[in-house]
Amino acid sequence: MSDSGAVSTGGGQPGAARAQAQIPAPPKMVKVFVDGVEVQADSRDNLIEAARRVGVAIPYFCYHPRLSIAGQCRMCLVETSDAPGRLVPGCQVRVKEGLKVVTNSPAVKDNQRGCMEFHLVNHPVDCAICDQSGECKLQDYYMEYDHQPSRIRVNKLNKPKREIFGPQVVYDAERCIMCTRCVRFMDEIAKETQLAVVDRGTHSLIATFPGQPLDSKYSGNTVDICPVGALLNRDFRFQSRVWFVNKSPAVCTGCSNGCNVYAESRGDVIYRLLPRRNEEVNQVWMCDEGRLTYHASNEKRVEWARTGRGDTSASVGPRIAVDRAVELLKPLAGQGGIGIAVSAQCTNEEAAAAFQLGERLGATRYFLGAQPQGDSDDFLIRADKNPNTSGVLLAAEAFGVKLDVAHGIDRVKALIAMRTDGLPADKLARLEVFVAIAQNEDAVTAEADVTLPCKSVYEQDGSLINWYGRLQRTWESVPAQRADTASGWSWAERILTGLGGSASTSVAAAFRTLAERSPHLNGLSFEQLPEEGIVLEALLPQDWPARAPRPLPGGHSVRGPQTTPPGMKVGDEASGGSR
Amino acid sequence: MTEPGLPDTDPLALEAEIPTAPMTVNLGPSHPAMHGTVRLVVTLDGETIVEAIPEIGFLHRGFSKSSENSTWHQVLPYTDRLNYVSPILNNTGYIMGVEKLIGLKPTERAEYLRVLGGEISRICDHLTCIGAIGLELGAFTTFLYAMEARELLWDRIAELCGARVTVSWTRIGGVATDMPAGWEEHLRGCLPRVLELTNEVDTLLTRNRIFVDRTRGVGVISGDEAIDWGFTGPCLRATGVNYDVRKAHPYSVYDRMDFEIPLGTRGDTYDRYVLRLEEIRQSHRIILQCLDQMPPGPIIIDDWRYALPPKKEVFGSIEGVMAHFKLIMEGIQVPAGEVYVYTEGANGELGFHIVSNGKGKPYAIQVRGPGFPILSALPRLIKGHAVADLIPIFDSINMIGGEVEQ
Repeated sequence: MSDSGAVSTGGGQPGAARAQAQIPAPPKMVKVFVDGVEVQADSRDNLIEAARRVGVAIPYFCYHPRLSIAGQCRMCLVETSDAPGRLVPGCQVRVKEGLKVVTNSPAVKDNQRGCMEFHLVNHPVDCAICDQSGECKLQDYYMEYDHQPSRIRVNKLNKPKREIFGPQVVYDAERCIMCTRCVRFMDEIAKETQLAVVDRGTHSLIATFPGQPLDSKYSGNTVDICPVGALLNRDFRFQSRVWFVNKSPAVCTGCSNGCNVYAESRGDVIYRLLPRRNEEVNQVWMCDEGRLTYHASNEKRVEWARTGRGDTSASVGPRIAVDRAVELLKPLAGQGGIGIAVSAQCTNEEAAAAFQLGERLGATRYFLGAQPQGDSDDFLIRADKNPNTSGVLLAAEAFGVKLDVAHGIDRVKALIAMRTDGLPADKLARLEVFVAIAQNEDAVTAEADVTLPCKSVYEQDGSLINWYGRLQRTWESVPAQRADTASGWSWAERILTGLGGSASTSVAAAFRTLAERSPHLNGLSFEQLPEEGIVLEALLPQDWPARAPRPLPGGHSVRGPQTTPPGMKVGDEASGGSR
Repeated sequence: MTEPGLPDTDPLALEAEIPTAPMTVNLGPSHPAMHGTVRLVVTLDGETIVEAIPEIGFLHRGFSKSSENSTWHQVLPYTDRLNYVSPILNNTGYIMGVEKLIGLKPTERAEYLRVLGGEISRICDHLTCIGAIGLELGAFTTFLYAMEARELLWDRIAELCGARVTVSWTRIGGVATDMPAGWEEHLRGCLPRVLELTNEVDTLLTRNRIFVDRTRGVGVISGDEAIDWGFTGPCLRATGVNYDVRKAHPYSVYDRMDFEIPLGTRGDTYDRYVLRLEEIRQSHRIILQCLDQMPPGPIIIDDWRYALPPKKEVFGSIEGVMAHFKLIMEGIQVPAGEVYVYTEGANGELGFHIVSNGKGKPYAIQVRGPGFPILSALPRLIKGHAVADLIPIFDSINMIGGEVEQ
């Protein structure tokens, strides 16, 4: 919960405190009473967190465990033995030895009801058209703490309904309850002051500065932490109602940071990615670019297994395509001139299977394909825009092969590509044989003699190793759109079988193939990989960016509960997401 | 002069004793007298029934499992289909269970409306049974009289609920619709005709020599044995056991009603018929008392945690639309707990065992359909009777496939 020590009460205004991942001091436990129940609370806990330890929910809008305290919403007012007869904000008041907290007295309940009534005075009748509907704190708290008609008979205030804040975020001022979470996030986590409160009283609203859009690379997080439907993601807006999507864990493929995410999908289409809590990778945040990576899994896919280049290509089904690949490769086996290109977008299992296939064929050259480098910062964004460069390098080392850069492909007459990222399309035409295991259609797949549709990382079980050596598993979060589609390792294994080799038939066996050869993975099995991943100590780099979350000393796993505490929804700020 | 063994003079000379082997025949599942779809596997020794085993399941709809995947209010239409001849009684029984879990009391007018609607349903149920028993013994006229009376009442129910059979009329905290304007006069106007038609049936059957011969002393069961089998309702009271949930454990506003519990003496098919006839008259009394006593007022509680807000609020205020959204999408939040609620259904004690884990959907629901234990005694009731007695006995227990097979 608040194990990172992020609860800060320094000042009541946005920007007054800096929340940052810190190595926690040994907690000092104090005894408090919440509604008469004794609680052993961390001395750094505020009343909300202390109550949460015994499953008592104190409602709040503006408080966020990772942001400074604002005390804006007044929803968390409770009674304490320190101030009898008065209400104090549960977000700002910290526990102390022997403190008695009352969260269900008539005065507290009355305040909660009144608070909701006021929050809704100017709220538009928007649920039917609002993306937040179904995951909205106003809806939840209204039914829990108010559930009465409003007594206020004034016209609702009209405010801007669709302010484009930036490339990912659109703002509806009428729905905004001025909790200032977004303002504080930009100040304290993104460290780019791009949002502010303007105007006063009931006319106040959130705004960007003149001429400066909300173009931070972390702007999408403001949508996640917005407790209502005021800030919405333009990519997800009006795409799906939230109760129709299934949430399943995944790992972002946007860069080598390997942020833990939830992929939200309906049928075989992913609708959005949301951050999943992992204190040592991404805390509860992710970058805007990462949020869009699912599009490659939805769009422009290689749909069917096919043979033949360009106009002569024909969809033939997986068995004939694999037979054709075997037929083309068999005469060349062991004769030199075979190259294997492995993309850094591959899972470990796919890379290992490709190297195994190369071994069987007597491949002489190995290439590393990759998405081009991009920008980076000292928080979550890494310059290497591939999720598994470390894993492919580890697999290459395990198989004892030397990797060359893919764009300099030469001295090969046959090439097998495990995913096609970074391959030079213009140099592929002269190849005698080109077998591509590919996810998306592009200029490279047009040159392939055999094209085999590959599952995206979101569609298959597998494992990835991030930039600092964290081995994380991925899941089959969403079914593949086409029946022919298979994971890369399984295509390689099928070709291997066709060539007379013995192949593993499960992802766990594919992982074992690699683990048996690599000293770094010694003793690990795929089934036992924990959800939060484990750190391969030998791969840990020396240079850490200033802000980046890092493994805690003396252990591999994430501290604090990863499970959902009572009364919390999956994705709530204290359990797994940022909301 | 008769000479034994000589065919010319002895008419029985060529008669031989015919050895009879037990014969197994199916009655149903699709047979007009099978009241829905149920199969009886009957073993006959000549005309005598050696054994009759009911085989149920043709109307199994997975009530319990479906309920676990529905919000509390979405279960309501499933209860219509338990005893589909008296759906309001099922609606009421289920909703009372949910209200007991919440600790909620419906409005007083709603209580009266539920009793009123329930007793109309009970009359419909009994009319169906006594009409059919006449029909199946060859007295088609009585069936037409009974159906005419039932139609009159089903029309009133359609005016009240918007549907004849699948009414889904009760709500947590009340009922869905109030009596429409002029409905009370309409009902008071048609009730005498219903009684008149019931009396016609009475006149035609109750002292009819053929009917009495076919039903009296047939399918007899004693009170003690009936209790052992788990009988409730008219079939139990026909044996003389005075147990009616409405009197024994009064619920809703039954304690304010003046009515009597008719009792039989023999526990045979005839008593089960006469008892239902008399219960129709008692239900008629209750209906009139309900109409007289019913107070004005709201038909559903004004608490948006349980009752949907008025449409004006839903479309015109954020509070209303939020409450509506949460109630529809997530369901009413019912505290964790476990209750058994029992009411007097048309065929006996209708029990709902409901378990909540505090979510918007039931954790588990089981129904004690009154017809089930009675149907299980059918082999016992039928055994040893002539094959012609099977249909009247089966009719008199008024098996309803919906509640038995769920």
